[in-house]
Amino acid sequence: MNRNELFTLAENWFAKQNWKAFAFQKQTWTAYLQGKHGLLNAPTGSGKTYALWVPIVLDYIKNNPDYKTKHKKGLKAIWITPLRALSVEIAQSATRFAEEMGTSLTVGIRTGDTSQKERAAQKRQMPDLLITTPESLQLLLASKNYDKTFKDLNAIVIDEWHELLGTKRGVQVELGLSRLKTISKNLKIWGISATIGNLQQAREVLLGPNSEAFNNSELIRAKLNKKISVKSIIPKKMEKFPWRGHLGLHLIDEVVPIIKASKTTLLFTNTRSQCELWFQKLLNKYPEFAGEMAMHHGSINKETRLWVEQAIRDETLKAVVCTSSLDLGVDFAPVETIIQIGGPKGVARFIQRAGRSGHQPGKESVIHFLPTHAIELIEAAALQKAVKETVVEDRIPYLQSFDVLVQYLTTLAVSNGFFPANIYREIKSTFCFQELTEDQWKWVLNFITKGSQSLQAYDEYKKVEIEENGKFKVNDRGVAMRHRLQIGTIVSDAVLTVKYMKGGYIGSIEEWFISKLKPGDVFTFAGRNLELVRIKNMQVIVKTSKQKTSRVPSWQGGRMAFSAQMSELLREEMYEAAASMELPSSSVRSSELKALRPIFKRQIRESIIPKSEEFLIETFKTREGYHAIFYPFEGRFVHEALGSLLAYRISLLTPISFTLAFNDYGFELLSDQEIDMEQVLDNDLFSFDFLMDDLYKSLNASEMARRKFRDIAVIAGLVFTGFPNKLIKTKHLQSNSQLLFSVFKDHEPENLLFLQAYRETFEHQLEEGRLRLSLERIAKQQIIWKQCEKPTPFSFPIITDRLREKLSSEKLEDRIRRMLKQLEK
Amino acid sequence: MKKSIQLNNQHFDLHFSGAVYWPEEQMLLISDVHLGKISHFRKYGSAVPNSAITENFDRLNNVIAQFQPKSICFLGDLFHSSLNLEWDLFQSWMQTITAKVVLVAGNHDIISHLKYEELGVKVLSELQIGTFLLTHHPEEREGFFNFCGHLHPGFKLRGLGRQQLNLRCFYINEQQLIFPAFGEFTGNYWINPKEGDRIFAITKKEVILVY
Repeated sequence: MNRNELFTLAENWFAKQNWKAFAFQKQTWTAYLQGKHGLLNAPTGSGKTYALWVPIVLDYIKNNPDYKTKHKKGLKAIWITPLRALSVEIAQSATRFAEEMGTSLTVGIRTGDTSQKERAAQKRQMPDLLITTPESLQLLLASKNYDKTFKDLNAIVIDEWHELLGTKRGVQVELGLSRLKTISKNLKIWGISATIGNLQQAREVLLGPNSEAFNNSELIRAKLNKKISVKSIIPKKMEKFPWRGHLGLHLIDEVVPIIKASKTTLLFTNTRSQCELWFQKLLNKYPEFAGEMAMHHGSINKETRLWVEQAIRDETLKAVVCTSSLDLGVDFAPVETIIQIGGPKGVARFIQRAGRSGHQPGKESVIHFLPTHAIELIEAAALQKAVKETVVEDRIPYLQSFDVLVQYLTTLAVSNGFFPANIYREIKSTFCFQELTEDQWKWVLNFITKGSQSLQAYDEYKKVEIEENGKFKVNDRGVAMRHRLQIGTIVSDAVLTVKYMKGGYIGSIEEWFISKLKPGDVFTFAGRNLELVRIKNMQVIVKTSKQKTSRVPSWQGGRMAFSAQMSELLREEMYEAAASMELPSSSVRSSELKALRPIFKRQIRESIIPKSEEFLIETFKTREGYHAIFYPFEGRFVHEALGSLLAYRISLLTPISFTLAFNDYGFELLSDQEIDMEQVLDNDLFSFDFLMDDLYKSLNASEMARRKFRDIAVIAGLVFTGFPNKLIKTKHLQSNSQLLFSVFKDHEPENLLFLQAYRETFEHQLEEGRLRLSLERIAKQQIIWKQCEKPTPFSFPIITDRLREKLSSEKLEDRIRRMLKQLEK
Repeated sequence: MKKSIQLNNQHFDLHFSGAVYWPEEQMLLISDVHLGKISHFRKYGSAVPNSAITENFDRLNNVIAQFQPKSICFLGDLFHSSLNLEWDLFQSWMQTITAKVVLVAGNHDIISHLKYEELGVKVLSELQIGTFLLTHHPEEREGFFNFCGHLHPGFKLRGLGRQQLNLRCFYINEQQLIFPAFGEFTGNYWINPKEGDRIFAITKKEVILVY
């Protein structure tokens, strides 16, 4: 069959569904059938699954003319998705097309949720299309004779590539692909990505810089113009609107008419705790929603999540309170309205969420923005502009992630074993490791075989062995087992299973929250009030509680920062706000700025609203100590860096200790001693000179690297976390990464994994590039220092933040003595 | 460097390393060294820096050199787990020690007592000296003051400006002195002291009363 005949087959099927293939779909079919690789830029719900699954099936038909009567068995295609929740949807679409085209192609799913029995069955006979996650792909590479499994693999599709790109799971995918390129002949690699700032780079990362695949690839964009309308929910009485907070529950009554007026509404919250609270409060206040409202977040068990997703499709739900767990993939046609509670922190995310509504082609997407505190109204105004101008962020790919490399090499050693010379070439071809040097490579090999760079006499390190023929291989069954268990845990926090006493799995929860509770304490989880009975073997045993008040778990993933683009829009909005205060209220057009006027007036009474040429610093004293607040409006990550930098530089002038707090608007240095601001200004402490050097030193104290090291230690297998649901006693092997970090600092500071913690802090956390740009901007601004009597509206959300960094230039002993002295007073 | 205190009319020097010297008995008390922990991790494929292994012995030597004790009593958890090559290091270290060595066994001390006795180390489940009861796990016994370890006590010192310091410490209450862990690469249990308790924090060079 030639291409036209194949296309006709597919188009006939489309016509039967009353669909018409989009131009981007046909473009993708063509490119695929020409044997090309590529990246498809298409939003969720646009028919992207059929853009790639169709040509895979057509290719099979072409190569197997008797496809209707004979079925050639074996794995032909892999579909990688970052979220297991998406796999069902994809499997359904794929099965439907394969069946109705008359092929006997089979579709299977393999994720962490797949039963042991099914896995074993897959091992005997792989389905034709396997839908899986990056972790499960690694696990396949960790099983014996994986090369035979992948021998006839023709296609691999990485769905939602933008979600993986800026993460270590993305690096896992890069490495996996580098192996598959060698062992699967005629492999075609395709990615699917939503719109991000660096699409071209996304393609390069996926296919490998200057690789054969990259040179034979296309970037296809689905140009579907979608109208998005953004509406802010503005409180009727600004006087009662809080200055701080992040829940937004005071606006609950404003939300109800919106829910009632729409078929299905998704309420997006930023954290799982916020999600739990909103769900509970809505039910308490509006019991009539019972049965028509549900909750969806990543810690709830799979059955419930799947049930919720199906109920949305069946239009039996009026409202779903959710988190980013519903950000991706799944196509929910009945959703009419989206409500975003609290700032979404990024434009791309906001647009994507808006896109969850009005899924039918040509329909307008409606998103309501609900500010959780006063200043967030400025964010609302900025978001409106962002959507209009489609300003979206870049996703920054990881470079030189040695932790993932160590994990990957161990994976290969666990299954078939490997010869370094072959694998080195493959690894060098990836984007992540294109700059890998011979020395670093040797270091990594030494690390996995000797556990150090020099062999010591009394050492018993055991992991990867070098066999006589030079093959690197894991022969110890315990090492292999622990490694397999560990592959999935690229997410950092130890997670415990929550179960009823009588049995029945409810979900999973982070250890650090549960560790704060005592038996008998009541907490809210999955919309229920539960009493903690005991913790045993990584299981949290609970029973239902009738008690009304309870603690709500807060999950740590929730803290996100503004992107550069969002910060810029926010600053512009702020400058506009400053200008608008000089106008009479009647001539202010933006309803957000109008609503904010009473609060702005308060701000002006104590301080100022900075204009574009101004940089505001406020100082005041409270019971807690001396506060100094700086307002760069650059997003919390840059503020964390700027705060540490400034604290460090001040501490060079005089022995002093600080705690640091920051949010997306500014940062605070709080000390028990008065900060000499004159001295700060006279000494030009915002200077570029010695920037990197000073940052390094300040960070040493401020512990950011220590936090990064946690993930690194887990991924590289330095810390064994055990595994939820598996009752393996690992206590004697559990250590905390904090301790480990200190040991490395004292004994092996040249360790590449230890250094990586610092590098990641600079590249991904602090966004060094952005930091330079903001210092440049500050250098051009006039510094306005306001000595205030009491906290200002702008400062309030910052000074009440409980999560704080520390920095000190005092000697530990002196510090203890001074703290004790102050306590005596 | 050290802090001298009195308990039941006897003198004790609290040392910043976490050891305590008892001049009347010329005895050095040390708890929770957790030797072999690093090797244990390495044996299971976790590449903790092996240069940290010698650190424990260096610190033991320093504190012994300072007090020149007649006897050394380990209050349990001398070894972290089963035998590994660090035992050989311990063996050669023992040959350099002239003091008598006693081990009050802890929950981690699963290595055969015979192995210890071969090296001249006496292993006991507890030790009574006058009105003092030496154990690994904290105990309360009528008429005795208890020296023990096991908990790895630490203290969070809070101050103005939301400052907080996490410090290793000696914890003293009415009937117990709980020792900090002497070993490198050990964690902490955060103490919540009651009225009348005392806490001595240890830094890299000093012992300071903080509560």
